[in-house]
Amino acid sequence: MNLLDRYLLAVKKYLPWKRQDDILAELKANLESQLEDKKADLGRPLTAEEMQDWLKHLGPPMVMAARYQPQQYLIGPKIFPMYWWVMRLALLWCLVIYSVVNAVEIVASSPSGAAVFDAVLHLPGVLIITAAWVTAVFAAIEYGAAHSPANFPAKVVDHVDWSPGSLPTSEEGGCKGKRPRSYAHAVAEVVFGFLWIIWLLLIPNHPYLLMGPGAAYLRVSPYELAPVWALFFWCIVALNVVQLGWRLIELVRGAWQKSRALQHITVKTMGFIAVLVLFKAPNRAWVLLKYPITDAARYGAGLNSMNHAIYGAMLWVVAISAMIWLWQIVQLAVDHYRKCVVAEK
Amino acid sequence: MTLADNIFENLRLELRRGCLTLAVLAQLRQEHYGYTLRKALAQHGLEIDESTLYPLLRRLETQGLLVSEWREEEKRNKRFYHLSSDGELMFRQLLQEWHDLNKSIDNILQGS
Repeated sequence: MNLLDRYLLAVKKYLPWKRQDDILAELKANLESQLEDKKADLGRPLTAEEMQDWLKHLGPPMVMAARYQPQQYLIGPKIFPMYWWVMRLALLWCLVIYSVVNAVEIVASSPSGAAVFDAVLHLPGVLIITAAWVTAVFAAIEYGAAHSPANFPAKVVDHVDWSPGSLPTSEEGGCKGKRPRSYAHAVAEVVFGFLWIIWLLLIPNHPYLLMGPGAAYLRVSPYELAPVWALFFWCIVALNVVQLGWRLIELVRGAWQKSRALQHITVKTMGFIAVLVLFKAPNRAWVLLKYPITDAARYGAGLNSMNHAIYGAMLWVVAISAMIWLWQIVQLAVDHYRKCVVAEK
Repeated sequence: MTLADNIFENLRLELRRGCLTLAVLAQLRQEHYGYTLRKALAQHGLEIDESTLYPLLRRLETQGLLVSEWREEEKRNKRFYHLSSDGELMFRQLLQEWHDLNKSIDNILQGS
């Protein structure tokens, strides 16, 4: 794959998928003609360095893609990379600061499930406000640069640092960074999947396999895990058995390189169900006393705090799992829709 | 850039926008693909950015003023554009408007 093809592949990522092939073919024809003219002027093919300089002169793939589309944007392609970088940074810091502040506040006041739930509930609003502010600032920069270029130094607007040498080398590398699985990889997945399940099944009778020396504490501790953990455990085992079976069938049928979207989503759904099973523990009790009649007075308070803390953590786990699960469902639906549209063309 | 320069630049772009449409329609009385169209316009003294040309071509095509077709030339697939019958009619009307405007401005300049 030559450098021009790699450039075109990178441009493709920024084109609307419905017209991607059409625009890309046109761009390719235009660039190849331009390249031919350059060769004719020089009387020889371009050297690798000249090729890089030419591509650099054409502009970053995102900017090139924007040239072939109607200009309907709030944040233009020139400042979009910087906008995206700042946006991710701002959201990450917002999440960290919000979590730390709320955690300290909850611990300092009265730790309760309701307080944690309230904090989780307010998080999306805080993130949306942060994103809105970042967007507003960059939209103002874009507007200013378009209407009064003199007041916006080129450094701000043309902050697109790129090198043709860094272009992806294949479609997979350019889009998702994944190569098709090899046969050896598929076999290894089945073998290790099988060993993993054996290890899982040994845990109930040999807890040290999971907890190491900490398993001894379970025996002497006044606490024990609630029965819901056993249900959760079997959900996890079932999930792994389904995944192993699926992979085995793929291997037998020689289909290990095919898309595994449905398999992924099934496994993720089962994983999410397992988390929900755990979350719905009766009386929000994940840890119990071994001898409640005799130990309640001594260890009851500690037990309650422990279960409250687990409830808080579970809320986060359920919220994050739900978001990931929904996101993957949406991605699967979008991919499926795209494939249908492409097949219809 | 001073304020006057900014104002001039905005007015120049405004003036140029309509003229570019007319120039593209005029040039596409003959068939061209993107690259040769840009070259032909540049040879006539009208440099046009890709970011202006391609959205303009798409818009004119959507409006039914241009027709495009993919064809192989020199072992390469290219998208050729040319005026549609509606486009030719529109071009003649716009050209007439352009001449009228020119004439009016000349008259104003001569009268002052």
